Amino acid sequence: MLSRMTNFRRNIFAREKTDRDLDDELRAYSDLLAQEKIREGMNPQEARRAAKIHLGGVEQVKEEVRQARTGSWLDSVFQDFRYAARTLRKNPGFSAIAILTLALGIGANTAIFTLTYAVILKSLPVPNPHQLVRYTFRSGTQDLGLSGPLYDALRKHEQATQDLLAWSGSNLAVERDGAVTNVDGALISGNAFRVLKLQPFIGRAFTDADDQPAGGPEGYQALLRYAYWKDHFQSRTSILGRSLIINGQPVTIVGVLPQGFEGVMAGERADIVLPLSFEEVLNAPHPLRHHPGSFWLTVIGRLNPGATLRNAQSNLITTQNSVRDEADPSHRFLGGFFAAFQLGVESGRSGRSSLKIIYSRPLIVLEILVGMVLLLCCANTALLVLARVSNRLREFAVRSALGASGPRLFRQVLSEVALLAFCGLLAGIALGWIAAASLVSMLAAIGQPPPLDAAPQAAVLGFTAAISLLSAFVAGAWPALRASRVAPLLGLKQNAVGSASHALGRLIVPSQVAVNVVLLAAASLLGQSFFHLLHEDSGFHSENAVMAEVDLTPDKTSETVATRDAQQIVDALATSPGVDSAAIMSSPPLKGWWSSSHYYSLDHKGAVHTDMQIWPEAVTPDYFSAIGTPIREGRAFNRADAIAAQVCILSVSAAHNFFPGEEVLGRFVYTGGSDVSLDGKYPASSQDTCQVIGVAADARFESLRESPERAIYRLLPQNQVGSDFFLVVRSSNIPVASAAMREAVRKTVPGAPEPTIFTFDQLVAAHLHQERMLTALSACFAAAALLLTALGLYGLLSRNVVTRRKEIGLRLALGARPRDALVLVLRQGLRLVVIGSGFGFVAAVATTKLLGTLLVGLQPNKPLLLIAAVALLFIVAITASCIPAWRAARVDPMEALRYE
Amino acid sequence: MTPDQTNLLQGTLDMMILKALALDQMHGLGISRRIEQITKGTFQVKPGSLFPALHRMEEEGWLVSSWGESENNRRAKYYRLTKAGRRQLESETQRWGRISLAIARALEAS
Repeated sequence: MLSRMTNFRRNIFAREKTDRDLDDELRAYSDLLAQEKIREGMNPQEARRAAKIHLGGVEQVKEEVRQARTGSWLDSVFQDFRYAARTLRKNPGFSAIAILTLALGIGANTAIFTLTYAVILKSLPVPNPHQLVRYTFRSGTQDLGLSGPLYDALRKHEQATQDLLAWSGSNLAVERDGAVTNVDGALISGNAFRVLKLQPFIGRAFTDADDQPAGGPEGYQALLRYAYWKDHFQSRTSILGRSLIINGQPVTIVGVLPQGFEGVMAGERADIVLPLSFEEVLNAPHPLRHHPGSFWLTVIGRLNPGATLRNAQSNLITTQNSVRDEADPSHRFLGGFFAAFQLGVESGRSGRSSLKIIYSRPLIVLEILVGMVLLLCCANTALLVLARVSNRLREFAVRSALGASGPRLFRQVLSEVALLAFCGLLAGIALGWIAAASLVSMLAAIGQPPPLDAAPQAAVLGFTAAISLLSAFVAGAWPALRASRVAPLLGLKQNAVGSASHALGRLIVPSQVAVNVVLLAAASLLGQSFFHLLHEDSGFHSENAVMAEVDLTPDKTSETVATRDAQQIVDALATSPGVDSAAIMSSPPLKGWWSSSHYYSLDHKGAVHTDMQIWPEAVTPDYFSAIGTPIREGRAFNRADAIAAQVCILSVSAAHNFFPGEEVLGRFVYTGGSDVSLDGKYPASSQDTCQVIGVAADARFESLRESPERAIYRLLPQNQVGSDFFLVVRSSNIPVASAAMREAVRKTVPGAPEPTIFTFDQLVAAHLHQERMLTALSACFAAAALLLTALGLYGLLSRNVVTRRKEIGLRLALGARPRDALVLVLRQGLRLVVIGSGFGFVAAVATTKLLGTLLVGLQPNKPLLLIAAVALLFIVAITASCIPAWRAARVDPMEALRYE
Repeated sequence: MTPDQTNLLQGTLDMMILKALALDQMHGLGISRRIEQITKGTFQVKPGSLFPALHRMEEEGWLVSSWGESENNRRAKYYRLTKAGRRQLESETQRWGRISLAIARALEAS
């Protein structure tokens, strides 16, 4: 084996020396033979000739020896590539177009695959990630996560897993050097590291002892993310044992997370990790940990050895009732939720990723579209290479006559394409990464860092290399086959050759057109849905509205102080110049938030109408004028209401639901438990009853894609504003209003973090990001496809005009008008496009159906748009045919006939 | 080519070369003459098959080559058996013995 390696090295790297050696050896052989003959009595001259004849072709013998050597195949492959590089260098125009075409296809695929990999395929960096399962509480694509009691009960009853961890992303206010900064953090159960099988980079991980009320005997402990430790603490190990003040609470740093581990929530980095029990500090004085109806936990388990996801699923089916009963014995909190949502378990390999939930399907759609683009690129390259092969048929014929074997010619054309693909690969990787990085930054929420790592990944590189290899083969195989089958004689007959390449073109161009129609149809469908959603009536008056998320963290400990401050901020804003009205709201629209509450009503016939999923919006009096939702009946809140507090406003659909066909104003709706009397006049507890004073237009709080939520608006109770809240301001001058908001916060609570300011339009843009991205990308793909198809058609027709020059010349000489020649070529081009469009139309119908199943809220395609798209394709096709057609019309009959 | 000269069977050329080199080192022409001699002219080895075989066998490690002076003061490349080459010759000889015996029996039987 070793000697073989040495031989291999010698054969490859010391080629010249071995070749010279072989030369010497053969000459010596020939000399010895001649001498032998001389000794037998031949005269010297004749002897030397006889010896040469006996030896045969020296070059042939040398070639055979070379082939017998180890690595000879590699040698000839090198030779092929050297030759290919030389021919490609000699045709820079052809090479550039072919490389760019391939780079386009490869780059687009790299970009989309980078996203697909990061969003869908990447696993958590923990041992055996495939053993992880995640518990969900779902309705459709909406996953609430689990509440504390549900987690505890599930952990007790669940048998398919070794243990379950709980994780919750959380915003932490960290005090350092006298300043308070907001840091992305996470709260995790004490067993999390055991379940994930992770070891800290330095220090120690949490144990169950750390996850106790007040954080255990030594107070709360914290771990830092590796990169955060490196950036903020210069990777000092002395950090261990040091104390941080987080939300006013001293916390001891005990360790650093392993490098590369950023948390179990994809796209959300946890810089500081605290035990789950720290939640009692964050949400004091009303912690959520033991509230059955507060869903804030991501629960991940590790399957028992040998257990599968299916085991976990069937286990859950048998245990879910006891889990629910144990988590909420009264059924007061979870009853309604269990009617609408279902406990489930799915693969937890990638942790929990909101991006994965939102973008999985759009990415599949994009992968399909971008795959089609690659196909088009390959087809175009194939056409280009084929045209070149046809041009060089004489060369191939000569080489074949000189003894080049078919496989060798095949390999040579393939190496040319492979070299093109390799250059395309390099350009494509560069292109793909730039595109992927900009796509990822588009995915980022307002004011947030990109949620994904778009950095080069081995898996992505492998994928890109694989598709390049595949494209080289797809684009090169047919032309290579043509080259290898060239008969020496055929090479001299140019006409036969031209028609052969045309036959393939007749197949490729219509396929390109068909793929193009599909891409155009998809782009028009996606674009149409996007514009539909963009102009969907949200129920808010989006112009001139600006919002802010305010966090008065330092005062977190006292809610009454926070409420007073919040009130002061709103009051200050209301009188600021440039601000028309200002209000506080509990949950901003279209932020991806979800909240629901339980209310019921009594109609005149005595029937009870319950609503388990009504959107509760708590606001200050000027909310409606600030956010611009119109009041349809009755009136909006006023300042006097704020004191009485027990009034509410319903949305139109909520009013219909509670009081079908009856008047609404002055009626009562109830919430809370069954202990409330239902006579509609004498509510048992004023807290749980409110009187309807107005009906507001329907508004889409959660999503523009779905029908509006039923909503109930109540005034924010005086003592429950909290230190985190949202402001909404109406102003004709957004910059002035934004400055006013900052100013009001700074003046009222010096030292509070800057509020995050966003306009309604930004919210809509972020909310519809998925549609925007799909529309933009599919439009780009369709445009690229149009260009490729036009190039393909142009190339084919141009070649055809060249090969049929003589025939056209003859026609013209026999009396055909130039216009006839023009029509001849145009008709040929159009026929290909018509055939392709026919197939494309059928494929487009199937594809749009497929898209409809993959994407929610997709509007059915209007046939008009598809027809417009095909018309566009025809215009482009005719334009592409015009230049060759014009050339055909200008053929000079005499010159054409004299040719050859 | 005279009618009674037989083309070498595939695989037997290696064995012939090994056999020819069993006694002493030799150059290319010498090997070819030696094979003619030991097969009484039945096999003639042409340079087109001899040299590729020599180079391949050298890579296998059965032969080593060195430049030397021929019997009449000409430079020539000499080939010599290695230990591995000798082992190969033995196993080839045994294998050939088995095959020829089997073929002879098969032909007698019919």
